[in-house]
Amino acid sequence: MMHETVTQEDQSRLAQLWFIAARAMAVADGTVPAVKEASAGLYAQAILGLSEEACRHAKSPDQMKHQTLVDCLAGVHALPAEQAEKIMTGVMMIAFADGHMEPLEVRWASMLASACEMSDEDFQRCCASARVIASMFNPSMPSVDREEGA
Amino acid sequence: MSGEQRSNFEFMERYDHRISQLGGQAEQYVHTDPDSCLFKLRLMVEMMARRLVELQAPRLGEMDLISILRSLEQYGMLPKKQADGMHAIRRDGNAAVHGSETPVPTAMRRLRDAHRISGWYCSMIQRGATIRPGQFVPPEGPVADAHALAMHQAAEALEDTIDARREATRESLLLFANEEDVATEVHRIVSELEGLDRVAQAAGEPLVDAEFVAVVMAMEMEQLLEHPTLGLDTREAKREAEKQYRRIREGFELREAMYAEERRALMLHHQREREERHGGAADGSSPKQ
Repeated sequence: MMHETVTQEDQSRLAQLWFIAARAMAVADGTVPAVKEASAGLYAQAILGLSEEACRHAKSPDQMKHQTLVDCLAGVHALPAEQAEKIMTGVMMIAFADGHMEPLEVRWASMLASACEMSDEDFQRCCASARVIASMFNPSMPSVDREEGA
Repeated sequence: MSGEQRSNFEFMERYDHRISQLGGQAEQYVHTDPDSCLFKLRLMVEMMARRLVELQAPRLGEMDLISILRSLEQYGMLPKKQADGMHAIRRDGNAAVHGSETPVPTAMRRLRDAHRISGWYCSMIQRGATIRPGQFVPPEGPVADAHALAMHQAAEALEDTIDARREATRESLLLFANEEDVATEVHRIVSELEGLDRVAQAAGEPLVDAEFVAVVMAMEMEQLLEHPTLGLDTREAKREAEKQYRRIREGFELREAMYAEERRALMLHHQREREERHGGAADGSSPKQ
């Protein structure tokens, strides 16, 4: 029972960190592109292993309104390396979704990578995985489309 | 649909004759053969989606319906409300195609969804036109007895819970909750991000290798998967992501199958009640009421 409670708390915290980190990357250019929004929840459930309930709860306004990006960076820093890396990968997946990165997106990726204490090699691995997952979650967006749309 | 009642889809005759006809046929079946009503609606949604793709993103045309709808949504061509309605018709239409019996209230809800979507659809294919879909008027059905009315109410209550559960699933997948003020949240996040950026710049904080990111973004998938240093990890990430993604999709499908089972159980229960009331003999009335 105790174990379950801890797990739920962990899920809840991880869900909150994920949605803040994902939002920051998705809206860094001041808009909420649907192409970025669509894959965030799928990633949370498929890759981070979060439950539907944890995802909904994390986004309730009461939960979100006091959370800052600095809180998120501190939270990610405290995560086990594997989870932090998954968050980094997911954030890069969102960055890849529309095929280009704005300066603030690069900054957010940089801050997260620092918070995760990630080496260049680890970051590159995250990027490569993120690219593959982005094309899986957005199969309608082959690279040729992005080049033409850029 | 009675002879006097006009079709709810008549308004779209001038914009898309075929889809208007499908809507009219779906109305005619809604009380007598709700499964066929859903077949027609499913076809209607597929034709709408394909027409929208033809107009706005012809390269997506070869995909199946679910992929087309997702793509239209992801590229901002399909608003959330319309997408929800189209997905509901797709799911219930698929269930009917695969043999799940459809209660009349389910078909009626999807018919109402189709009418709402039709008004939006016409405004998309005929930009600038004034579209007047009018109020949806439920097609008249046969006079229902007390038992049929009870069945109808129970089916409506079940549909409410199915709609609520589908909505909960959908909300769990979105970046923002429905009740959040997205514009305010976006402003708050961007302001904080800009502040952090200024501090980081002043402190000379390093940036990630944007050039590498751009190269990865532009790479063909095969190149990435066969990359001498990244390939192995990338292939493993792909395998794992595919597995987990499949698990999630199967979970969604399982839930839809459960909804279909709940509908079937409800109809069966009322059918048995009716038979018991009539001494166990088949009375010829439709169990779908």
